[in-house]
Amino acid sequence: MTWIFRVQGWTLIGAIAFGIVWMVAQATIPAVIGAAIDAVVDDGFGTSLLLWTGVLLVIGGVQATAGIMRHRLAVQTWLDAAYRTVQLVSTHAGRLGSELNRRVAHGEVVSVGATDIANLGNAVDVMGRFVGSIVAYLVVAAILLEASPTLGLVVLIGVPLLMLATGPLLRHLNRRNQHARALQGELNTLASDIVAGLRVLRGIGGEAMFDRRYRAASQDVKRAGVQVARVQSYLDAFQVLLPGAFVVLVVWLGARFAASGQITPGDLIAFYGYATFLMLPLRTFTEAANKLIRGHVSARHITRILGIVPSVTDPVAPVSPPDGDLVDAPTGTVVRQGLLTALVSDDPRDVVALADRLGGYPAPGGDVDAVTYGGVPLGAVARDELRRRIVVNDTGSALFSGRLRDALDVRHATTDAEIERAVASASAGDVLETLTDGLDAELAERGRSLSGGQRQRVVLARALLTEADVLVLVEPTSAVDSHTEARIAGRLRTHRAGRTTIVTSSSPLVLDVADEVVFLSGGRVAARGKHHHLMTTDSRYRQVLTREEAEDVA
Amino acid sequence: MRDALPIAGTGLLRSYLRQVARDHRRALVGIVVLHGAAAAAGLVVPWLVGDLVAAATGGGENATIDRLAAVIAACLIAQTILTRYARLRSAVFGEVVLARLREDFVDEALTLPIGVVESAGTGDLLTRTSRDVDTLGWSVRFAVPETVVALVTAVCTIVAALLVGGWVAVPLVLGVPVLWLATRWYLKRARDGYIREHASYSQINATLAETVEGARTVEALGLGDQRRERIDADIAESYAAESYTRRLRTVFFPAVEIGYLIPVAGTLLFGGWLMAEGSITLAELTAAVLYVRFLIDPVDRLLNWMDTLQVGATSLARLLGVAEVPDDRVASGRTPAGEEIELDAVRFSYVEGREVLHGVDLELTAGERLAVVGPSGAGKSTIGRLIAGIQGPTRGAVTLGGVGVTELELDDLRRRVALLTQEHHVFVGTVRDNLQLALESPGGTDDDRLWAALDAVDAREWVGHLPHGLDTMVGSGGHRLTDAQAQHLALARVVLTDPHTLVLDEATSLIDPRAARALERSLSAVLEGRTVVAIAHRLYTAHDADRVAVVEDGEISELGSHDELVARGGSYAALWKSWQS
Repeated sequence: MTWIFRVQGWTLIGAIAFGIVWMVAQATIPAVIGAAIDAVVDDGFGTSLLLWTGVLLVIGGVQATAGIMRHRLAVQTWLDAAYRTVQLVSTHAGRLGSELNRRVAHGEVVSVGATDIANLGNAVDVMGRFVGSIVAYLVVAAILLEASPTLGLVVLIGVPLLMLATGPLLRHLNRRNQHARALQGELNTLASDIVAGLRVLRGIGGEAMFDRRYRAASQDVKRAGVQVARVQSYLDAFQVLLPGAFVVLVVWLGARFAASGQITPGDLIAFYGYATFLMLPLRTFTEAANKLIRGHVSARHITRILGIVPSVTDPVAPVSPPDGDLVDAPTGTVVRQGLLTALVSDDPRDVVALADRLGGYPAPGGDVDAVTYGGVPLGAVARDELRRRIVVNDTGSALFSGRLRDALDVRHATTDAEIERAVASASAGDVLETLTDGLDAELAERGRSLSGGQRQRVVLARALLTEADVLVLVEPTSAVDSHTEARIAGRLRTHRAGRTTIVTSSSPLVLDVADEVVFLSGGRVAARGKHHHLMTTDSRYRQVLTREEAEDVA
Repeated sequence: MRDALPIAGTGLLRSYLRQVARDHRRALVGIVVLHGAAAAAGLVVPWLVGDLVAAATGGGENATIDRLAAVIAACLIAQTILTRYARLRSAVFGEVVLARLREDFVDEALTLPIGVVESAGTGDLLTRTSRDVDTLGWSVRFAVPETVVALVTAVCTIVAALLVGGWVAVPLVLGVPVLWLATRWYLKRARDGYIREHASYSQINATLAETVEGARTVEALGLGDQRRERIDADIAESYAAESYTRRLRTVFFPAVEIGYLIPVAGTLLFGGWLMAEGSITLAELTAAVLYVRFLIDPVDRLLNWMDTLQVGATSLARLLGVAEVPDDRVASGRTPAGEEIELDAVRFSYVEGREVLHGVDLELTAGERLAVVGPSGAGKSTIGRLIAGIQGPTRGAVTLGGVGVTELELDDLRRRVALLTQEHHVFVGTVRDNLQLALESPGGTDDDRLWAALDAVDAREWVGHLPHGLDTMVGSGGHRLTDAQAQHLALARVVLTDPHTLVLDEATSLIDPRAARALERSLSAVLEGRTVVAIAHRLYTAHDADRVAVVEDGEISELGSHDELVARGGSYAALWKSWQS
């Protein structure tokens, strides 16, 4: 929070300065009108009336100018705070990688963009008006005390008291509001749920029941809304009554003073004006208090996310490992350099964990050094180099919106011919054909414009294009049909010829092309060899594969 | 390529609002009368203050002053009570209208043709259900009542000012041109400006969400720079949108402030002159100046809520627009004679000019098991969807017992044909809700029937172990179910609705192979005695089916039993060979 105030420096100071001028100009207008009326009473229609009217217009002009300048600068600070935060969080998320997904819920980070930036922005935005209000309040206080100490005190003490009086009602309102908002949130969830599941719903029926459920929930929201309205209507009434009562008091006292000649009629009108004007700075105080508190909470939330540090850090003296075998100590797996190795296990979780370990993603609490590459423990390799040389393409690999070319060519050093070759290897040519602009087509958010099978093949092509020394592919063909799977398996082998490639799969079409299949049982290497060989010699291996196939009925 | 859902035009919007006004005429009249009375009570105050000032300067008696003050206090109390009821009435009215609006909307959304939803993207519909409903709620709850109050107050204030003296009209009219021009200029541009601004924030959020959800990929592939460029581009767009609306306000705000000041200054000068001439009293001058200043507040509020109202109207237009999508089916009332399904020269295209099925003929006998295989994108899923009546064919006919499948009422169709895909969705609610959702009278189903259905799909055990059994909350935010469990629920639903034909579109393909074994058992219980169309990418399914249809390039290229096709030596035989090797 302090950081945000500091980086904004002059913009913020400017916003505050204009805020002061703006508020003070507004504060003096009742005095000017009062003086103008006094001028009529004293001199009739003469130069002093013209003069005061002129002053009124000038102050009005100053108020309008300062108001808009304050607004412009405040918007600037709002945007600045919001944008900087988004940039920071986004960059940090990219740097943390899988660590982020494991340590905080997505929703929590995404809520930064949805609510926190607005809270921060509002907090800096209100600063100008906040300081302006304080100064205006003091100025009015000075004018009033000078004109009439008694009336001045009534106004100065009365107005804050009024604000306090509405406090309990406000809290009550807040509670009911929260309740109503929670119900509205549930209603929205229900509606979103219906929409998200609409396709499924159309397949199995049930629209009528959802309609009934939504109506029931909607009526609940309506009732909660009416509850809010009940309290709110009292508050609205109070907002008429309290300032009104105060104005009556001021005017009544003022009239008596004016009658006894202590103050002029103009003063009386000015007092009336001040009493109504002071509501504005006071409302600003409460608003500022609220916004600063919320901004503070959001700032804490953001700092918490930014405070997450990766558990695997760069080694002090990084070693660049030679291209060689990958050895995993916990399972005893050896992946030989330059070969296409397939991993199969009787427990699918074991291969996923192994694939992660080989890529330098130890399980929480696990040891990154459990794996050596060319004889060097992975922990001794700089993270950047590690990620460049060993690429893991898991089933959760994300596609991002943007041009298809950028989605594929992540290393930015590739010609169209190379991209096309990778696309062909991943058998994703049909994706290019269906998109009207080919490589320049825009992908929708998370690649949603593509089907599951298409996404998987695009992701595979992207992995191939990294041209990594070691490529780990987790279930790369789980969402494609047998025809395509067979094609991909063959092309994958050619594409990665001479480079280390690791595939986890239980499809015979894929296993068949592997140079070597490593079979894990009970978390240790139980057998290794060609697929055919293992099928005929190892009964456990055969069981694992045939069982899986036999189960696949649909 | 994407066709957005329609947005209602001004005509429809107006007629809808007129309808609402007609339906709630009495409530509306009551609200306006209450607000008017409250405003009137409030407006007596400046008048009395004028008298008070006059009394004070006239060296008036304290008793007169006290009496005037008491009358002011009485007006105030009246205004307070009237305001309370006026606000309450309008808020209740707002809630009633809102509820009606969103319910009508969901009603429409539920019957939207699925093809329309898909081509527009679920995102559009999602935005409408959440953001537009919220925005409209904001408008109806705050902007509409505030505008009504401001409008009524402004009208009453003008009337009161004119009652003080007709001359006040002169300075008031002076302010109108500035305000009129500034507001017109602003409103013409503001709406699009703010819509663009909002869209830019949605974009920032979407990009951030993408980065966060794909954080592992970003880090693994070194996409940090690419993502940063993207968010910077979003920010630049957002800044451009913000700058635009800020420019609009930079013109609009000062202009209206000057517009407010002109009448005040005019009243002072003109009134001062009149008073000096002896035409009006000090009390009249004071009251006039106070009224004219008083007018600033309601007018300002009125102008400030204008753009919120506009945005609300846009949201309303988007909600009402959904109703403009024509229905994709008309129930003919005919009843199928039998369970046979026939596809006759069926052609289909999702997008005009791009046909995905080029004349498919297929006859399914009751109780038959057909496997559909073929490469991705060949049209397998489309055939499944046409059989299940999700969509009607572009040309040709899909009939069930001689009646077109889209001629049946949706509910009726679902009791005959169901479609299960790899996409499964656990709806927010209890397990019971999820099971009953397709039943005609959900209240009437006893637990025994539900348990029997769960038993049939082998799900009794895990449901029994849930914290609250059938009443456990599941779906987003509730108890998390595995894919296999979600699929169990889907299958149990099928048992409950008991359709005679079932289309399975790779229904188990995303499930962990280990979980598939249990599911297989469940499935065979469900499939027993039904016509089954299984779209599959693993060939064992085909091996077990009565007949296999190979779909290639939008046509059925081979059709026959497994053995026949293997013997024929076509593309199926080739694939089977490589699978067997």
